[in-house]
Amino acid sequence: MFCLSELEDTVRVPPDLLKLPLEVAIKKVLQKLFLDKVLSIGLCVSIYDIKSAEGGFVLPGDGAPTYKVVFIIVVFRPFVGEVIAARFKESDSNGLRLTLGFFEDIYVPAPLIPRPNRCEPDPCNRNQMRWVWIFEEQEYIIDDSYQINFRVENISYPPVPTERAEDGAIDDDGLGPVSWWEGCSERNNEDDDT
Amino acid sequence: MKNIIVKANAGALTNFEVLDLLNSRGASKDTTRVIASETVSRSEYKVYDYLMETAASTQTRESVTKFSDKCKDFRLAKAEILNIINLRPSSDVELTPILEKPDEREIDIEGILALVQELLPPLPTVEAQKENEQEETENDEQS
Repeated sequence: MFCLSELEDTVRVPPDLLKLPLEVAIKKVLQKLFLDKVLSIGLCVSIYDIKSAEGGFVLPGDGAPTYKVVFIIVVFRPFVGEVIAARFKESDSNGLRLTLGFFEDIYVPAPLIPRPNRCEPDPCNRNQMRWVWIFEEQEYIIDDSYQINFRVENISYPPVPTERAEDGAIDDDGLGPVSWWEGCSERNNEDDDT
Repeated sequence: MKNIIVKANAGALTNFEVLDLLNSRGASKDTTRVIASETVSRSEYKVYDYLMETAASTQTRESVTKFSDKCKDFRLAKAEILNIINLRPSSDVELTPILEKPDEREIDIEGILALVQELLPPLPTVEAQKENEQEETENDEQS
């Protein structure tokens, strides 16, 4: 699920951070730039380490020094075929949407929900549809009462990666974020309804 | 600002290692989270919360290392070993989706499950869970 990636970038450290030790200041800037953002290599989860920082030149007209920094980040990047435990978030007639808390754009399209199944309007929530798996004459409702294990089938990235200024979970970005298509293997962690 | 990716994959991490990293930065279950907020950001805390509900929260470095060492005997791919450590399957039905083409490779499913049981601490949930055997992996034929 997670791996380390090494990046190199030019980082501008605003003057108000210069009272801090250099490494701390650079880390703060990196966090603002990368944390919780989706890059081509995955979702940046944490700044792991700063390998080197050089430069510190102040460009004309600017009060802030710029450093060339080589650093390592922890990224969330599952591979196709990986099985991940997630929670149910919502569902509609196209399929399910699952969440990991820190990442919410996991989609299970209808064809990949265990068959035979049926989709019905959710009695508790008028806007949603509810999926029910029918197995050996028992019905299992897919909802948030248990954990759902899914297997990653496909990963797609937004076609035009743009830099967003605001912080926040990527599902707020409205970029058409990473969507995963997966086979859904259900794990019921409590007794089934009879 | 264009970033230059020096190395896209500088090493895979188990969930345990990421949790360990966040712990060493001061993340904790303390609800106020004021003390660690200097070193652990809100988005990092979301990852922490997720991981605390998985098998990673009860694992130790020793158990994870020992387990991956012993896995060599079972001829598993690195990705599969990682998956097993992250998910801690306790039954055949949980283990098979992780493996690629298990039938063609003659994998010792029982052996792996026994090793998991022996070396990896149990999952963090408190109440006893009854495994539901009716699990279906979408892309396989129904067995």
